Amino acid sequence: METTIFYIISAIILVFSVLTVTTTKILRAAVYLLFTLVATAAFYFMMEYNFLAAVQLTVYAGGIVVLIIFSILLTHQINLDLKKINSIKKITSGLVSLFGFILIGNIIYTHTFKATSSVIADTSVNEIGRTLLNYGDGGYILPFEVISVLLLAAMIGAIIIAKKK
Amino acid sequence: MDITNFLIMKQELLLTLITLFILVSEIFVSDKRRIIPIAIVLFGIHTLFGFLYNSYGSIFGGMYQNSELVNLMKNILNLGVFIVLLQSSTWLLKEENENKISEFFILTFSTLIGMNFMISSGDFLMFYLGLELATIPMAALVAYNTYDKKSSESGLKLIMSAAFSSAVMLFGISLIYGQFGTLYFSELLSADMTSPLLILAFLMFISGLSFKISLVPFHFWTADVYEGAPTNVTSYLSVISKGAAVFIFNILLFTVFRNIVDVWSDVLYVLAILTMTIGNLFAIRQTNIKRFLAFSSVAQAGFILLGLLGTNELGMATVIYFILIYIFSNLAAFGVVSSIENNSGKLNIEDYNGLYHTNPNMSLLMMLSLFSLAGIPPLAGFFGKFFLFTAAAQNGYYWLIFIAVINATISLYYYLIVVKAMFINKNDSPIEKISNNWYMKTSYIICLIGLIVIGFYSDIFEYINQISIGI
Amino acid sequence: MKFDIYDFSVLTASIHQLLGEMMGETAVMITEMVIVGIVFLTLFAILGLALVYAERKVCAFFQQRLGPMRVGFWGTAQTVADAIKLLLKEPLMTKSADKFLFNLAPFIIIVASFMAIAAVPFALGLQAIDLDIGVFYVTAVSSIGVAGILIAGWASNNKYSLIGAMRSGAQIVSYELSVGLSLLTIVVLTGSLQFSEIIESQREGWWIFRGHIPAFIAFVIYLIAGTAETNRGPFDLAEAESELTAGFHTEYSGMKFAFFFLAEFVNMFIIAAIGATMFLGGWMPLHFGGFTAFNEVMDFIPPIFWFLGKTAFLIFMMMWFKWTFPRLRIDQLLTLEWKYLLPINLINILIMAFIVLMGWYF
Repeated sequence: METTIFYIISAIILVFSVLTVTTTKILRAAVYLLFTLVATAAFYFMMEYNFLAAVQLTVYAGGIVVLIIFSILLTHQINLDLKKINSIKKITSGLVSLFGFILIGNIIYTHTFKATSSVIADTSVNEIGRTLLNYGDGGYILPFEVISVLLLAAMIGAIIIAKKK
Repeated sequence: MDITNFLIMKQELLLTLITLFILVSEIFVSDKRRIIPIAIVLFGIHTLFGFLYNSYGSIFGGMYQNSELVNLMKNILNLGVFIVLLQSSTWLLKEENENKISEFFILTFSTLIGMNFMISSGDFLMFYLGLELATIPMAALVAYNTYDKKSSESGLKLIMSAAFSSAVMLFGISLIYGQFGTLYFSELLSADMTSPLLILAFLMFISGLSFKISLVPFHFWTADVYEGAPTNVTSYLSVISKGAAVFIFNILLFTVFRNIVDVWSDVLYVLAILTMTIGNLFAIRQTNIKRFLAFSSVAQAGFILLGLLGTNELGMATVIYFILIYIFSNLAAFGVVSSIENNSGKLNIEDYNGLYHTNPNMSLLMMLSLFSLAGIPPLAGFFGKFFLFTAAAQNGYYWLIFIAVINATISLYYYLIVVKAMFINKNDSPIEKISNNWYMKTSYIICLIGLIVIGFYSDIFEYINQISIGI
Repeated sequence: MKFDIYDFSVLTASIHQLLGEMMGETAVMITEMVIVGIVFLTLFAILGLALVYAERKVCAFFQQRLGPMRVGFWGTAQTVADAIKLLLKEPLMTKSADKFLFNLAPFIIIVASFMAIAAVPFALGLQAIDLDIGVFYVTAVSSIGVAGILIAGWASNNKYSLIGAMRSGAQIVSYELSVGLSLLTIVVLTGSLQFSEIIESQREGWWIFRGHIPAFIAFVIYLIAGTAETNRGPFDLAEAESELTAGFHTEYSGMKFAFFFLAEFVNMFIIAAIGATMFLGGWMPLHFGGFTAFNEVMDFIPPIFWFLGKTAFLIFMMMWFKWTFPRLRIDQLLTLEWKYLLPINLINILIMAFIVLMGWYF
């Protein structure tokens, strides 16, 4: 049962990822991206990483994709199609990605990963919260705080670009 | 955790405080131009504090570490940023930038905070966060001249190539994490990295970082972005950003990836030859001074790799020393370019014809900085390059040094083109006499002192060498 | 506790056992999924019919009219007739619309509310899935719905639709923050995101009474932001009839229009249900400390009625808003959120955290 669901979700992710990059309508690309991201969240739910799944849904599906769609709405007209890529470019990029896929796939498949001996991490919200705000070993308070500086700077940067004279 | 432990990360904390102070002060300062002296003085104090009350150690479970070496790197960057801030005053005081003066300082300081965190990172997570913090606000800085199409275009180019390189790098890091289950540098020190998977991971990592240092073949964004960005941002990008990336590259190669030194020295060997040669050959063809300096900085990055190939304390010391010199030489050149651009709007090398007759002081400074970049003896640049060659020679890379010497000769040729334009070529309508403000003059004097003194005052190199680490 | 006699888990367990005797493990799982799906579909239909009727009646009474009276007793069959009409209508399509996205948009919205309702606790043991991150899950899932609105507005290739979609996008993205933060104020009190635990923690009294003034402020903010998030009046700028014909669903007709309509009412139900669960104790009966006899009497009212009663009360409040207040302008709307609700909310959370830290709540 679980394996079947796994393969179904993987198929969804693969199909929509390919569609995202091949479609000529930009909003459709965004919608396919939404499906890909929601399907990724489904993976997390399947592994019972509920918190991570909900984060994936809020941040990516509800946040980033909505922003992308928003910017398309502001800038793009429905009749505009993206330029069709000529076939030589298609073939070369296809070959390059195939080469990369074979290379990386081959290396990963021939590699023997050692099984981890550590216990499965506790993914309850309480534990995540404690780890996130811990300043000792294995705590993540510093990245947490640095991200806030990053977000502030990014926001100011965005304002600069959008600011009228 | 003790409150005094925060003294270990005082550079970042102080800088964050200054940033927030500027952000808030904007509410109370009616005339935005008054922020320039405030920001510069505050940052000057910060730069001074970098040398005082230092304590070292690692906190936050090893995520953040500070040592004498790391602190020195930060001080070098601070010095460079201080000069950049002085030089950018003319540009910021222009009418079209008047309503966004404070944001320039906020963004610049945020990127510097990112670089500091990147250099002192103790695990890949902090390293990556620092890198992003150093990159994303940078794109906004590059697109700062919103009235200029080129500026916006290059901002987009920067963010796209940065996103792409980050993706590649993250894939590499994820493979390392998948194998060892840890991101901490200290736990990876003894890790066996020789399997094909980890070498692939390392290659991905190195390609990601090479984008930041703009090594060939990852340099395609460099010239376009450097040309489109405001000149002061270009100088920041080419000196400080690159310097920080080289520093962390240095640290990582000598700690986390020390077990695969055979692999990375081969990679760097190829990259060094490519970077030097292609950077130089393209620099010859340029007619725009900013593109010219962009390719020259690509070529300089190739020389830096020579020092990394030294693989011992001397190698690391030479790289840091070279960056220190590079900051003064390149910033002097960019200072002159930005002053001329902001006063006359001219950017082509041809426009520099006869500059000596109208602006003798600036021409002399430009000449000295270009000679220093080329590596002509009495100036600091010569010592920098010489030490880099020595470091590479220790490991017997004689062919590489031979190629590097040829490249240094080629570079001398194109640097001399600019010098010739300024001093010998005749021009009926040369650039008019430019009167620089006090900020600019101060920056010139600092650069001049740096260019001459660092080469002769041998204690600096001795000190760097003494605190450096090797494999 | 007396209300344990109304525990639905006894019923669900016996169904599970019955199915287990009849078929294999995988088949049981699939069958149960199908049953739950059918139950929720039916619930959607009933909710839609009931709420539309309620809306029309409430509206009519506020305007001193009688509302629908002719079909059935007091017009009770009116919405059924309306639904049949919508089913029979021809689905129209503008010529240069993006067909795929145009048809997809209503489904995204419906699916989002379908996912959200799965976590709503209707009564003791009557909850499709009791996630350990319940509250967070609901806010996460409901945030996807806005994508459907934006897509619908763009794919219609109509100016009114586009403007409506933009407004609604800006509105929902902003007010989501306030909804999340006001719920967080209660999470500070409960220390858990799981709905069953949140309800259990209100056994002694509902949080709106026990949580002092901060809880009440959070409740008010939640009601305002929740109303805005469902695009209902006075925040119905997305479909402002007098300016934008019908906003983002101008071009939709027939069943597809009914989907948008249904989603709006179901979302209102979800907002009210979550509000009832977080602030008013969900299905927990009304208890006063010390009044044993009174508490016992209250326990005899089944939890499902408590839940539906509280939810109905909140829905009535939201309808009351709609028919009382005039519509806001878009800039007033954004000012209200970013300059008033958000700062108040953040300070409120701080105060609440302080209260919890000192143990000052009841």
